[in-house]
Amino acid sequence: MSWMLIDLTLCISLLILAVAALYARGLQQRVVFFIAFGLLCAIAWARLNAPDLALAEAAIGAGLTGALLLSALNDETDPQPPLTQPRLGRLLTTAITALLTLALCAAVVTLFPLHEGIAIQQLQQQMPHAGVVHPVTAVLLNFRAWDTLLELAVLLCAALTVLNLAPARPVTAHDSPLTGMLTRILLPLLTVTAGYLLWTGAHAPGGAFQAGAVLAAATVVLRLNNNPGFTHLRVGALRALLALGLLLFLGVGLLQTVLGGAFLQYPPSTAGFLILLIEAGAMLSIACMLSLVYLGGHLHPHWPCHAPSNGVDTWKRHS
Amino acid sequence: METTQLIYAVTGALIIGLGLSAALRDEPLLARIIAINIAGVGVFLLFVAIAYRGFGQTADPIPHALVLTGIVVAVAASGLAIAINRRLHHDSPSGDGPAEDSSA
Amino acid sequence: MSDLLIALATLPLWASLGCLLWPRLADLLSPLVALALVGCSLLLLDAIAATPVILHHLGGWGGDLGISLRADALSALLLALGTVVTLAATLFARRYFTDDQVRYRFWPLWWLLNGAINALLLSADLFNLYVTLELLGLSAAALCTLGKDKPQALRAALRYLLLGLIGSLLYLTGVALVYAEYGTLAIPSLAQQIQASPASLTALLLLSSGLLIKCALLPLHIWLPAAHSSAPAPVSAVLSALVVKVTFYLLLRLWFELFTAVITPAFATLIGTMGATAVIWGSWRALMSTRLKLMAAYSTVSQMGYLFLFVPILLALPDHDSRALAFGALVLFALNHGIAKAALFLAIGIIQQRLGHDQVDRINGVARQLPVTLFAVALAGSALVGLPPSGAFLAKWTLISASLVTAQWWWLLVAVIGTLLAAAYLVRVLGAAFAPAEPPPPTGKQLLSGELPALLLAAMATLGLGLGAAPIWSLLAPTGLGNIL
Repeated sequence: MSWMLIDLTLCISLLILAVAALYARGLQQRVVFFIAFGLLCAIAWARLNAPDLALAEAAIGAGLTGALLLSALNDETDPQPPLTQPRLGRLLTTAITALLTLALCAAVVTLFPLHEGIAIQQLQQQMPHAGVVHPVTAVLLNFRAWDTLLELAVLLCAALTVLNLAPARPVTAHDSPLTGMLTRILLPLLTVTAGYLLWTGAHAPGGAFQAGAVLAAATVVLRLNNNPGFTHLRVGALRALLALGLLLFLGVGLLQTVLGGAFLQYPPSTAGFLILLIEAGAMLSIACMLSLVYLGGHLHPHWPCHAPSNGVDTWKRHS
Repeated sequence: METTQLIYAVTGALIIGLGLSAALRDEPLLARIIAINIAGVGVFLLFVAIAYRGFGQTADPIPHALVLTGIVVAVAASGLAIAINRRLHHDSPSGDGPAEDSSA
Repeated sequence: MSDLLIALATLPLWASLGCLLWPRLADLLSPLVALALVGCSLLLLDAIAATPVILHHLGGWGGDLGISLRADALSALLLALGTVVTLAATLFARRYFTDDQVRYRFWPLWWLLNGAINALLLSADLFNLYVTLELLGLSAAALCTLGKDKPQALRAALRYLLLGLIGSLLYLTGVALVYAEYGTLAIPSLAQQIQASPASLTALLLLSSGLLIKCALLPLHIWLPAAHSSAPAPVSAVLSALVVKVTFYLLLRLWFELFTAVITPAFATLIGTMGATAVIWGSWRALMSTRLKLMAAYSTVSQMGYLFLFVPILLALPDHDSRALAFGALVLFALNHGIAKAALFLAIGIIQQRLGHDQVDRINGVARQLPVTLFAVALAGSALVGLPPSGAFLAKWTLISASLVTAQWWWLLVAVIGTLLAAAYLVRVLGAAFAPAEPPPPTGKQLLSGELPALLLAAMATLGLGLGAAPIWSLLAPTGLGNIL
């Protein structure tokens, strides 16, 4: 009974925070409420026995998206005037959304009790052959590896576009909110945490995405400390870093195909090692992409390619 | 266990509705991104509620993996939208009004 | 044979990485990859003729646990459309982007988009389809940002991205309901299980409305004209020819394979009515638009509407044979529109580059400067209108006779009005282009090879598809949706 009380409190607070994040007056307040909403959601997921997701939501959903929104807030010097939508259209969309929500709630009520699905039964049978003990990692990197591979492609697409769109302006220096001392402590700490999360993903909550997010946080710290981040990297190295995760994944995936197996099949004896290899590559690429997405406005001067020395500097002309 | 699932699933459904209706309103871009993200979290909450198997029981890991994928896709999409918006502001800092849809 | 599926699904991703890592080789690499993909899709068609369904269990898991790649006649035909259009647009893009740095940015995203299209057509898993939809939406919006007219292109890309995200969210909510109710995400397994229930009905509504946004069915089309008309020409071609079409493909799978037990005639009539409105409204806007690209974009709204007209008719047709006939016509129509619209967008891209604009009332006499391109516009236009011997003529003929058989004569009226309007906007453009006017001095030499992709595509739509349509029906016969209905 007491759990039910906690559940109800949690859910009502979630709803209140959602409303606040959607309808608070200023954009800044909304972002803050959104971060609080995400953190509370992480608690709810921990309560629902989803520690992987609690970790990911806190690090990526609330943490990184929150940081992203906050940084975008600085950019938005003059907000766009709102579009004028016809009254009828607004009424119609509201009515349709309300109807859909109502139908959804009704459908959700009829769902329970759930019966044990086919997929989960097959998962329990196949877990011994997955190469890792932690079921979420097994699903992500083995049973449904194709999803994860395409997800890396989605991240790559976002990172490339962020680089393409970065306005041509120098990195602006602003007052560093972090002292060098703190950075020197934080950086190794974050790196070690990332490594630990990666390693532990095989048998406990954690894995490439959480580790990548923590590593990305290290770049954010560097950025806060006025480090120019990626601008000092050679552009070829940046391209390689971006490609690494997907490249390893595709390469390992093809390994067995050559020997007559399926795409993305791992030999049982080395599955654990291959999964760790893929995850390590994925972690680096994820960290790179997430921090690029966060750094956003700060361009790499030679992206995507060094202009030929004798020709016109087309990059400048284009931007 | 079923009551718990039901409470969280219905909350998820309500959050989806709230988020979607806000995302379809005319708002500054940042507000719409927040709205889409909140609706997304609502969908994830629905998934997690479905995966729940009772106190002390291991939950269904498949929806968990799906949600993890969804979280990463959501942050990528938000980053992309913010990057486009940032460039838009950079190119026309006067904020010369909304997109003129030639269909309007 | 499953090697073909692996190649079609992963080759674009390899190409994307290759173009990212070695930008200077991308111009050479891309046509080769595009050619290889066309080869794979043709081999796949050949294989499908022998074995109606080809499955590949990724990771060797299969069943309900893993994800499978699956190809049948419908997906193989659309894959062939996709690879052919991509090859033409790739060859075109090499010359279209004159700025090296823009081209270097273009290729990796281009191949990600192509990878998303192929992965979507091959996927047999509801959640995997969500990931492919997101990759499709993000890479399409990313490519739109490369448009020349920056602020307008960026605004259009932003709106496209946001509405696409809302669509994917609706879709994902539907996936959650399906997983809760049936405990699996594998489409072959779900096809045998889905029954009418409140959750199934809501899932159908959510999945459909999410995809309808991406398909731009009126009144959810508001994002399309701006996005398709402000993107670079090769991107517009692929967006109009393929991206909206593969989401329609997904709707077909949902309505006629998965949710057959749930879908009702009333639902189909609603979809058909929306399609009919799209046909007339889209054609009307196309006739009224002042820019060539905008005209082509509105024409896409209207042509997508025709595809939805088939839905209520397919559902009402009495026997298996007539359904198979109508279904073949639907696929033929989709292929015809894909090829013809891609040709049209590429040709308009050449006109725009030559004149520096695409205003309809200022193209007088352009036919004398670009005779080959204008010939391509005429051919593509006649395929879009549905003049014989194009594929659309056959398809519309079948649509009209089927609407009479099922006593739904009002769809006939819609098809006739739409065709007349389409003929009107085609005549308007061609009339202006061939008008005797003092031609402005040529601003640069147009190489014939730059005009060739559009011309070949247009000829393929008018002659190839019209005269060689019979194999489509025989290919679709063993597994066509008609069987499952």
